This record gives sequence, C-alpha cells and structure tokens, in this order.
Amino acid sequence: MGVPGPVSEFDALCANDDELADLRAAIRGFLVADRQQYGWRPAVDSWLGGWDTGFSERLGAAGFIGLTIPVSYGGHGRSHLHRYVVTEELLAAGAPVSAHWFADRQFAPALLSYGSEAQRREMLPQIAAGRLYAAIGMSEHGAGSDLAAASTRAVKVDGGWRLSGTKVWTSGAHLSHRIVVLARTSPLDPEHRHAGFSQFIVKLDSPGITIDPIVQMGGEHHFNEVTFDDVYVPDDDVLGEIGDGWRQVTSELGFERSGPERILSTAPLLLGMLRMLASQAGVDDGTATDVGDLVARVISLRQLSISVARTLAAGEDAATRAALVKDLGTRFEQDSVELIAELLDRVDRHTGELRAMLATARLHSPLFTLRGGTNEVLRGVVAKSMGLR
Amino acid sequence: MDELQSLVDDLGRRSVEARLGARGFPDAFDGQLWGNLEQAGLTRLSNDDDAGPAAAAVVLAGVAKHAGAVPIAETDLLATWLASAAGVTVPDDGPLTVALADAELRDGRVVGTARDVPWPRATVLLAARTAGGLHVAVTEPGDLVEGHNIGGEPRGTFSFDVADAVTVDARVADELVRRGAWARCVQTLGAFEAARDLTVAHTGERVQFGRPLRAFQAVQHSLAAMAGEIERARAATALAIAAAADHGFDSPATEYAVTVAKVAVGRAVTPVTTIAHQLHGAIGVTVEHRLWLATMRARAWADEFGSPGHCARRLGRMVLAADDPWDVIVSGPA
Repeated sequence: MGVPGPVSEFDALCANDDELADLRAAIRGFLVADRQQYGWRPAVDSWLGGWDTGFSERLGAAGFIGLTIPVSYGGHGRSHLHRYVVTEELLAAGAPVSAHWFADRQFAPALLSYGSEAQRREMLPQIAAGRLYAAIGMSEHGAGSDLAAASTRAVKVDGGWRLSGTKVWTSGAHLSHRIVVLARTSPLDPEHRHAGFSQFIVKLDSPGITIDPIVQMGGEHHFNEVTFDDVYVPDDDVLGEIGDGWRQVTSELGFERSGPERILSTAPLLLGMLRMLASQAGVDDGTATDVGDLVARVISLRQLSISVARTLAAGEDAATRAALVKDLGTRFEQDSVELIAELLDRVDRHTGELRAMLATARLHSPLFTLRGGTNEVLRGVVAKSMGLR
Repeated sequence: MDELQSLVDDLGRRSVEARLGARGFPDAFDGQLWGNLEQAGLTRLSNDDDAGPAAAAVVLAGVAKHAGAVPIAETDLLATWLASAAGVTVPDDGPLTVALADAELRDGRVVGTARDVPWPRATVLLAARTAGGLHVAVTEPGDLVEGHNIGGEPRGTFSFDVADAVTVDARVADELVRRGAWARCVQTLGAFEAARDLTVAHTGERVQFGRPLRAFQAVQHSLAAMAGEIERARAATALAIAAAADHGFDSPATEYAVTVAKVAVGRAVTPVTTIAHQLHGAIGVTVEHRLWLATMRARAWADEFGSPGHCARRLGRMVLAADDPWDVIVSGPA
C-alpha cells in the first residue's frame, strides 16, 4: 500500500486518520449539499432500495465511485479503506446508492482481477462515472445457500456461447446494463461440484432475456427473475477463465462480507432516533442505558469490521473474521429494528420520516441475515476454521 | 510483541502445570509465577516509557489466559502509577494493590471502610475519596476480613483511619477507575480465549452418539457464536489499548474507548460463558476442571471498575450530549 503509516493507531482503528479524515469531511460536505439541492430523503437499506441514477452520476462526477479503480481506468487509485469511509458515510446518510452499488462493489473488482484489457477499458471508466450499472446473477430456484447446485449452462458455439437457465433474486436487473452470470460450462461432476463453472458478462438487452419482477412483501420491486433462453454471448464477454468461475466468485468475498453494509443498513433510522432523543429534555437513566448498549454494539462491530478491512487491504487473509462480521453485523441490524422501535416509543413526537423508515426496516429485516450467504452457512465457515486450529 | 507474548505464554503454562491438581476454591496467590514475572521484568510495564500500555496489555491478557493467580493488573496499572502520581513511596518489588474507597475527613484523618479490595495481602495503597480530593497512603489493613470473588480471587474488606495521607486531585480517582476498567477488559479477553480453547478442545474430544460433539451442526453454530462475541470484544478492547498507548489514560479518547470496551466486553460475558458451560456439560462446573477459572473470573471482572450497565449509561449520555451521534460512533465525541 502506498499509504503513509498512521500517526495515531487510535485514529487508524477509527478509519479517521489523516487522508481518511479529509475524505470523510469531503463526502459529508458533498452529501449535505447534494441533498439540499436535490431533496432526496434518507432511507434505510438504501443499497437495496435507493435507485437514483441522477445521484449516482453526481456522486461519480464528484469522484466518490470507483475509488479503488486505478486512475488509468478512470478511477481514483485509492485504498480499500478510502472506499470503506465513503461507503459508510453514504449508508449513514441513507443516500440512494443502489443504482451503482453492485457495479462498484463487485463488478469492478472482478474486472480488475479477471477482466480482459478490452473489458476494463470499456466498462471501468463508465462504472467510476456512475453511469454503468450491473446485476449479479448467482442464485437460482434450486441453488440458494448451495450455490454449486446452479444449473444455468453455457454451451460453446462458433465465436461464443449459448446461455440457458434462470437466475433469481437479481437486484436491479430490470434497470441495469449488464448482468454477470455464473454458469456451468461443463457437466456436474459429483466428486468435484465446484469445477466446471464460468462467468459471463451479459448485456441485459440481449435477445432471449426475459426479466420478471419478484415483488417483496410491502410491494417494493428490487428483485427479479432473469431467464436466459439460448442467449448468445460472444467470446469477448467471458469474464476470466472458462472453468475458473467458482474460484473467481468466491475469492473476494471478504470485502463484501465484512463491509459497512453489514452493520449500517438501519443506520439512518438509528441516527434519526438518537438525534430526536438528544433534542428532548430529561432523558431517563434507563433510556440512556439502552442507548449506550445499542451504540456500544455498533461501535464494537464497526471496530471489528475495520480491523478486517485493514487486514484485507494489507493483502492478508481474514476470511473467517469476515464471515464473523457478517453473522454478527446482520444479526445486529435485525435486532436494532425493534430496539430502535422501543426507544422511539419513548419519544413524544415521531416524524413521518422516522415512521416510514421503521416500516421499511421491518419489511427488509428478514433479508439482512439472508443476502450474500445465509448466517447459518457463515457459522459453518467459522466453526470449520475453529476446528482446524 | 510476539516475543513478549510467547514469554508470557510460557510462564503461564509453567504455572498451570506446576499447580495441576493442587488448585481449589478460593484460589491462592501463586508466588512462583509472581517471582518469574518479576524476574522477567514484566510486572511494571505500563509506566515504563519503553514498554507502555500495549506491552502491559500483552502481559495482562496472557496471564489471565492461564488464570495466573497474581495481582499483576493491580500492581502494574493501578498501584505503581498511583504511587508515582501521588509521590508516595512503595516497595520496588513484590505485589501491590490499591484499595479504592469513599471516606470522610475527621480532624485531618482519613476514615472509612474499603470493600472488595483485590489481593489485600499485597502491599496496600489506600486511595480514599472525600470532598477534598483523593487521599493516598500505604496502609496496613488492620481488621482485614478476607473473602473472594466468584472467580476465586482474594478480595478483602477493612476499615482505615490514616493521618499522613497525600492529597491529590479527585480526577486521579477517575483515572484510577478508568485504568482498572481497561485492565479488566484486557484480562477478560484472556479469560475468553481460555474458555474458547477449552471448549474447542472438549467438543473435539468428547464423543456422544458415536461422534465428537463438534460434528453436530448445533454445536458448530454455538462455537461460531462464541467466536463472534470474542472477536467483537477483542476489537473494542484493541481500540481501548490503542487509545491508552496514543493518548495516555487521562484523555477523552481513552475515556470513550474504555467505556465502549467495558460495555462490549461485559455484554459478551453472558454468551461466552453460557456457551462454554453448555458445551462442556456438567464437568465444566466442577472445581477440578479449569473452566471456572476462565468463566467465573470473566463474570466477576465485568462488574469491577464499572458494570456494563453503568458504563452503557455513561456512553448513552455521551451520545445524547454530542453534536452528532454518528461522530461518537466513528471516533468518539469531538
């Protein structure tokens, strides 16, 4: 890493040393000004629900997307910790980040690790500009926690591949430009279930693709069922190596599992409640204790998450602790909803905004411990590593 | 630091082996371990400019992991510092402790009762709070009533009536409590590691229904839950260690980080000890099994120098008084 050593270990552990503190001030300034001008409302779980292409383009133009993408590909050549700071400030502000979210978090790193030079040149600058949106096609009807059961397949044809199968829970596919599809390129070998997968970058307007909404309880539409009926994908749109798909999708799970979005999905509601309590006179001791307990959980989880981010940024392995962050963090997100509701109950005046956020949080909370790998699977990962000690 | 850690580990292991089968409830002072620690120069590190709080933390956690029955936190973090802050002379070697108590002034004498004094057979440095400040003096407990905490560590109660105490600012008492809380968090992490290691070993060895316990998914999930609580507590404690190393114990950063850690570590005690005992089965509650030395000390330490609830209340007030609660979550009140 080209980052100079921190003067203060305390500040570094808070992701608030030197450059990071400046960056934090800059993104906060941007968010206040942008919200004032464009009037978006802070929302819980805005990385799933807050689709706003105007916001993504402005954020990109201001230099806050593609932070870890090298400058030569239109990015900003900063560290993962820089990205961490920007991400957590966006989530704390409840900003509408979902349009560019998966492109910035998953697709860009995948292109950097496995993409061809042509793919990088074509797409990375657009991602950093907040103008190219990507969906991730992994889960299927028969392959949830057991991703290796995926049966979408690609068959080699002249100059490319023919893709057939159905992906589900694909966030934002109806609004995105590309979908990254995990498909079998050789038949299942029961002895080596993880072999024979490949990844394809598919344009969502390709002939043969059907996108149907999967409407969430509460009526929101973020998820989709994406069906591929003999869709032609040229060789140039293969991501990485044929047959290497499993390793490609699993090798960089650490950042995704341990990031701020595993702790802060309910942060705008939490912070809104705390600001309201703080504005009231005479908060009793019991309420102050409950506030302290809640905040101590957030702080300690954030500390764990940052320590994992620092380990990963240094190029070291933190797979087990990353799984722990996701298990603990998402359970906290879930618990936080009703703890916050209890505290809101003690506040005289609710605002409509907090009420609306609480409703969304309740509707989304079952997802917190499911998405990106269920907590039961993660606990298995953790236990396995303990047994090998 | 790695070298220091393996040295402490080695001394701890030797103590465990030497006392195998000879340990009961309550626990007794381990003079041999103390001698080894002193000989290695590890008993007064936190006040040493070359070592400091980060090195002291390695020793505290390492000794606690092996359930070392010595007043290392009391000697290093509390008494040695307090003596030098107050300009009171204490012996250059041997175990020390601090008796923190509320008192009153009667004709220039400091009078009161000190309760739950840790390791009261060590050289006792009285730290008595009155409206006039903190009064510090080496004292000989006269009517000592000896007891112990639920982790089997000696705790004592005695009354005092001291004429020649040195009076220092009341803020010194605040720092003393902060240091105590810091030390208990660090020690609890050591106890957690011991509980985890014992539980991992037991669930790997104990066979029921024809399989080791660890082969059962329900058991695996409990182990993972335990690991999560420990790592979270460790992250909070790491921030408190960094705060003390960077800014000293008398700083807003350390006040913030220690308050957070005391809540985070304290609230982890119930899940960690509950899971450890559940997975050990009934053998874990016997005096001849070492588990209680980890779990019950962690339980006792959580309430010393500020209970989790007390510290949560303080943190809650800190959050509600701040300009913005998000700032407190990021790095403490501005």
